[in-house]
Amino acid sequence: MKKMFPKLTASLAVCSVLVSASIAADVIKIGVQAPITGQYANEGQSIDNGVKLIVDQYNAKGGVLGKKIEVVTCDDQGTAQQAAICAKKLVNEGVKAVIGSYTSGATEAAQTTYNRAGVLQTSDGTSDSLIAHKYWTFFRNSFPNSAEADYTAKYFVDGKQYKKIVILSDYSSYSTDLADATIKALKAKNANIIYEGKIKSGSQNFTATLTKIKSMDPDVIYFSGYYTDGGLLRAQQIQLGIKADFVGGDSNDNPDYMKLAGDSAKGTLLINVPTPDLLPYDIAKTFLVDYKAKFNMMPASIWSLMNVDGLRAILHTMEQTKSEDTKVIAENLHKLKDFPGITGPVTFREDGERIGGGYMTYEVQADKSYKIVYQ
Amino acid sequence: MDIFLQQMVNGLTIGSLYALVALGYTMVYGVMRLINFAHGDLVAFSAFIGLSVYAQIFGESVTSLIAVITVFVFTAAIVAFVGVLLERLAYRPLRTAPRLSAVVSALGAGLVIQNSIMLIWGPNMKIFPSDLFPSTIWEIGGIVITFTQVMILGLSSVLMVGLYFFIHQTKIGTAIRAVAIDQDAAKLMGINVGRIIMIIFIIGSTLGAVAGLFIGTYYRGVTFDMGWMYGLNAFVAAIMGGIGNIPGAMLGGLLLGLFNAMITGYISTQWAETFTFVLLIVILVFRPTGILGETVAEKV
Repeated sequence: MKKMFPKLTASLAVCSVLVSASIAADVIKIGVQAPITGQYANEGQSIDNGVKLIVDQYNAKGGVLGKKIEVVTCDDQGTAQQAAICAKKLVNEGVKAVIGSYTSGATEAAQTTYNRAGVLQTSDGTSDSLIAHKYWTFFRNSFPNSAEADYTAKYFVDGKQYKKIVILSDYSSYSTDLADATIKALKAKNANIIYEGKIKSGSQNFTATLTKIKSMDPDVIYFSGYYTDGGLLRAQQIQLGIKADFVGGDSNDNPDYMKLAGDSAKGTLLINVPTPDLLPYDIAKTFLVDYKAKFNMMPASIWSLMNVDGLRAILHTMEQTKSEDTKVIAENLHKLKDFPGITGPVTFREDGERIGGGYMTYEVQADKSYKIVYQ
Repeated sequence: MDIFLQQMVNGLTIGSLYALVALGYTMVYGVMRLINFAHGDLVAFSAFIGLSVYAQIFGESVTSLIAVITVFVFTAAIVAFVGVLLERLAYRPLRTAPRLSAVVSALGAGLVIQNSIMLIWGPNMKIFPSDLFPSTIWEIGGIVITFTQVMILGLSSVLMVGLYFFIHQTKIGTAIRAVAIDQDAAKLMGINVGRIIMIIFIIGSTLGAVAGLFIGTYYRGVTFDMGWMYGLNAFVAAIMGGIGNIPGAMLGGLLLGLFNAMITGYISTQWAETFTFVLLIVILVFRPTGILGETVAEKV
């Protein structure tokens, strides 16, 4: 009996090693890096929900490559500092791909870490600078700011024929980048920009800046920042009696924008790709029904759906190539042509850029519904 | 010219919010020689309490004067209670300890309050109902003044003048001033110092609660971490006016609000915060006691 024990423990140890190894190999880990808390929590939670929904659907069908998918979520709070921490954490967890983040700043802060570790990353960040590094691991699942800027300039000059334009942004990398791109596109069309300014995100009180703008009597105030500031800007604009149109960039398209602006939301013009419920694709309709059934609400915005498309493209390529090797997947993602996505066909360029655009302008109605006014 | 006057109105509105918060800092400092860094988070806390009280009692639809008054009274009572609790738990055990311990305790208490708000109400921005106050707007010679602004300016003036008279005309006010000058001597004269400190926390927290509710009704969106920003600005205002000095806190608050609006309006948004702290340094260098620090002999 005494002699049995060492053998027994040894064999047990071998067994447990084998078991844990086989468990580890049976799972493919997918990371989510998103602002689960903080200013943009609403968007981050929606990304996390969307990813979990798709993963559950895959797992119900037996996973991918015969393995279950496991989601590892890391909260980057929309900040660069937390994003860097998340990147290290997710790499250590051994994820194959990371979905996110929502903000360009948080995405950019994590890019290098993922690239070094050979982890795929797909984000809805729209800063043009995101693809400047030419990382083979990075794929944008939304459209770049320059595409939106070109559309905005066309709308302002050809559509609305604004004579006096005010451009406002905040200090985030996304907002600054979009404002710069828009200014560039407007100048190329010889538009008259009378004021370019910045507001400090989260500072709540924008009346001083708006009062200054009022004295210039502009035709339009364009804001390239996020919904939390956009809603307040619009409300304070109406309070101060500034008659100009208010045009919000894509990140103002959020239910909280309506709540913050209150009655002032009426008449706001929002520029974005189609809202979730306006997506014409069958796959989008099914997804929204499933999402509503599971989480009892609608996704925060189209941005979460774009992230979901990023995940679907990666899983699809994994199945197609029958490979877990991120190098192989990346190579084939670059070759992907018109993969049917929730937000439309997905095609990645060689530098990871998603091709397309399809922006629209919505006018917010008194009942907070949208009316398409320019396409 | 009307642009200048409009900036004045904007600046005074935010300035009176700073002043209300600054009073809480200055009174606690005047009596206890302690910078109560948790005060800003208490202001944020009151905004969330106000939201919940409103939702609990009135659902989300009723808006009347009675509803608004009830929300203000309930919220002020709850926040005042939390303020007293804060003093009991975080400051009283450290009353004889070195001053640094109490400051560290205050910073810790602020973090506890901030994280509690996040855990109770969640990390997302919460939004006040838009129809709490009538959306009336007056336009006088090109200057726009909203009903909410008049409310904020009027009510905070009343509160500040009331506080000034309370401190200078009543028996409790005299006792507060006595404790501010010399705690031990006040004790010998039969003043219950513990009770006076409690009263200070009740008054400070109540004013903070009103400020928090004003922030909510004026800006609509409230976040769990907004207390830091208002706390910091009010702290600067209190120092500028002369910390420990009640008229100084009011003056400091209003001046800071005006200063901010003018810098933002005439120079740029980017520099507003930088200039605020440059101003603070200038005042500390040339007048270390603050604007009103020397003219009034006694603190509080």
